[in-house]
Amino acid sequence: MLDYLARRLAGTIPVLLAVSAFSFLFVHLLPGDPARLVAGPDATPADVEAVRQAMGLDKPLIVQYLHYLYDVVHLNLGRSIKTQQTVAELIGQRFMPTFWLTVVSMAWSLVVGIALGVLSGVKRGRWQDQGSMVLAISGLSFPSFWLGLLLIDLFSVRLRWLPTGGYSDWKSLIMPSFTLGVAVAAVMARFTRSAFVEVTAEDYVRTARAKGLRERVVIWKHTLRNALIPVITLAGLQFGFLLGGAIVVETVFAWPGLGRLLVDSVSYRDYPVIQAEILLFSFEFVMINLVVDLLYAVVNPEIRLQ
Amino acid sequence: MFRAFASLLLAAAVVLGAPLHAYANDLVVALTADVLGLDPADLNDNISQSATRLMFDGLYRLDHDMKLVPDLATSYEANEDATEFTFHLRKGVMFQDGTPFNAQAVKFSFDRAGNPANHLKRQSLFSMVAHTDVVDDYTVRVVLKYPFGAFVNDIAHPGAQIVSPKSVQQYGKDVARHPSGTGRYELVSWSADTLVMKKNPNYWAGAPKIDTITYRAIPEDGSRMAMLMAGEAQFIYPVPPQLVPTISHDPRIVVFDKPSIFAVYVALNNMRKPFTDVRVRQALNYAVDKQAFIKVVYNGYADPMDSPEPALMDFYKKQGSYSYDPEKAKQLLAEAGYPNGFDDTLTGVNSTLPVRGMEFIQQQLGAVGIRLKVEELEAGVLTAKMFDVQKPSDATITMLYGGWSSSTGDADWALRPLLATSAFPPVLSNLSWYSNPIADKGIQDGLATTDPAKRAAAYATVQAQVWKDGPWIFLAVPHNLAAYVKGLKGAYMRPDAQFDLDPDATLN
Repeated sequence: MLDYLARRLAGTIPVLLAVSAFSFLFVHLLPGDPARLVAGPDATPADVEAVRQAMGLDKPLIVQYLHYLYDVVHLNLGRSIKTQQTVAELIGQRFMPTFWLTVVSMAWSLVVGIALGVLSGVKRGRWQDQGSMVLAISGLSFPSFWLGLLLIDLFSVRLRWLPTGGYSDWKSLIMPSFTLGVAVAAVMARFTRSAFVEVTAEDYVRTARAKGLRERVVIWKHTLRNALIPVITLAGLQFGFLLGGAIVVETVFAWPGLGRLLVDSVSYRDYPVIQAEILLFSFEFVMINLVVDLLYAVVNPEIRLQ
Repeated sequence: MFRAFASLLLAAAVVLGAPLHAYANDLVVALTADVLGLDPADLNDNISQSATRLMFDGLYRLDHDMKLVPDLATSYEANEDATEFTFHLRKGVMFQDGTPFNAQAVKFSFDRAGNPANHLKRQSLFSMVAHTDVVDDYTVRVVLKYPFGAFVNDIAHPGAQIVSPKSVQQYGKDVARHPSGTGRYELVSWSADTLVMKKNPNYWAGAPKIDTITYRAIPEDGSRMAMLMAGEAQFIYPVPPQLVPTISHDPRIVVFDKPSIFAVYVALNNMRKPFTDVRVRQALNYAVDKQAFIKVVYNGYADPMDSPEPALMDFYKKQGSYSYDPEKAKQLLAEAGYPNGFDDTLTGVNSTLPVRGMEFIQQQLGAVGIRLKVEELEAGVLTAKMFDVQKPSDATITMLYGGWSSSTGDADWALRPLLATSAFPPVLSNLSWYSNPIADKGIQDGLATTDPAKRAAAYATVQAQVWKDGPWIFLAVPHNLAAYVKGLKGAYMRPDAQFDLDPDATLN
């Protein structure tokens, strides 16, 4: 087990190296001159040149990459071109808002999504199934910017119960995490239902019933447990995506998260920040995949990690 | 589990059902983007500069009508050739870090900002400065390399604000996060998207009445409006033109609607056929209905351009108008040899208002037989396309939908960077590749003296010549649209689209 973990962790190093090279090339090959953008619309060539030198962009690309790699290996992510802050500090400020938003959104949408999915699967074809799936399709189809603005209008402007946005106390988390979680809950419900239905048709479920097990045991122990494997995979993916920042929800609710930071950084060609964010997201995905693999073994002891 | 923001924010967020004016003396301003830094010499965005305007002072500043008023200087003298400027400084002023303001601090700030080795973004404000000399503790003389009649306007720019020498020595590069000026407000805290300032009790003109000012970055228009209506913000900018009707009837809210100094136009490449022919350029000006343009793009919140520079700029002179006359446009096109029009591409940035504007122009020019393709580009790509040129023939843009706001408020920076032959890209922004000896001479004459009458005459010539030549399709000067609660007095948007407060502003 420990051996397995060590090997998986060591395996992240080449992945991250490849990602660093790819993201470096990607951002440096984007059209657009960051020095020009940073220097502003009424900059003179001297201003632009001053910015270019300050950013080290006057050096050849390969030299810039080696510098970058050297710095990253020494855990130095550089400074933001845009704000001069260290990238570590900048991302640090934005990480926790994104983290909490992700955790809370995932928590409620997993519970609700899986519950609805199981309900639909068990009551297949009946009104409970149809009702749940109508909810799920609505959740998927509702554009989050619209849902967010409707919530703000109702709960902040009219009722004054909740703040319109911003990252402050637990109240500020309610509307953004609801808006963000709706689509996830919907996907989870649909996915759980189909996995559930598939497993229900398996021989071992029929056997369980045939040997006279109570329906509750058949559903929760034999069916759901097996149906959970693809659901966990999907939940891991969703978690990874949400940790990358939710641009629309962050924008509507003025949430200072990683998604907005990435968009702002791309439009500024803030190379160090873009590179660091891509590296961080890749790292998060690798870690999440590892956790998902470990969870497989927990859910189904027949799966051996080696 | 959550980091607490400043108490006023929590108060604003938690208090339920409070009226809009409940947070007396704590002003929350909701703007589109984050503050990027607080080192005046190293900024070029409106939001950060509006914050340094509250924390720092310059020798002079531009008031809410873009008129020059003394700030840390009390007066100045200049020689007739506009090469030597002597400033008399205000006495008894202290920086927020407790060090005294004096001639040495002015010299330090100017030398620092103008030194190319420091790589600061506002270096060009000092490119004409030969040296700055301390005459005595409260007198400083700036000697220029060449005449520059707009110099006092130049140093009224936020980029020339005076910083505490001690703060720069102490914090180095991080001074952008540890500002120390002589201004009305000082920094309390600055996290990801929230900047909190409190009043400077020792401000030389008397402490301001509003205790704290908080800037919040709210990128979404609807969310900004909701903050105002929910009482979480007391001033918001911008209000998109199409959303004004949704708040204009709210008795608790005042809509701020004043002209800007932002000129919106289509730069025609004057070195490319068919725009080499003045008749074609004039035809395009006649072919566009500016009033309709203003209604469609700005919901009426704009004024038609009637000179190459906006009305609030120094030495502005009204030139009349190109009336909407599609028949005349067709006739001019026919005379120029294009009776059936021509095909061309209109290029601009891919955000809401420019796209709406470009589509409108496409439709209008279509009516006189000109078939336009609209090319919407991301800002970075567009900027590269504009400036990746070494000579006029490299230019790939033939018609550019764009605009300009002169940050110094002086005619020179409204005309020279856009219309002088010496300003061809990549040097500056003459994106119409316009070159006219009369205009060039006027632009030069305007800088060669400090005599306002001579400068006015020079710039009048330039404006008349450019208007006649029509290097651009002259479109509109949009208004700055903001909104604030009734209890707030003395807060406004400057014509250069920066938030500002009168010294005696109040909130109750």
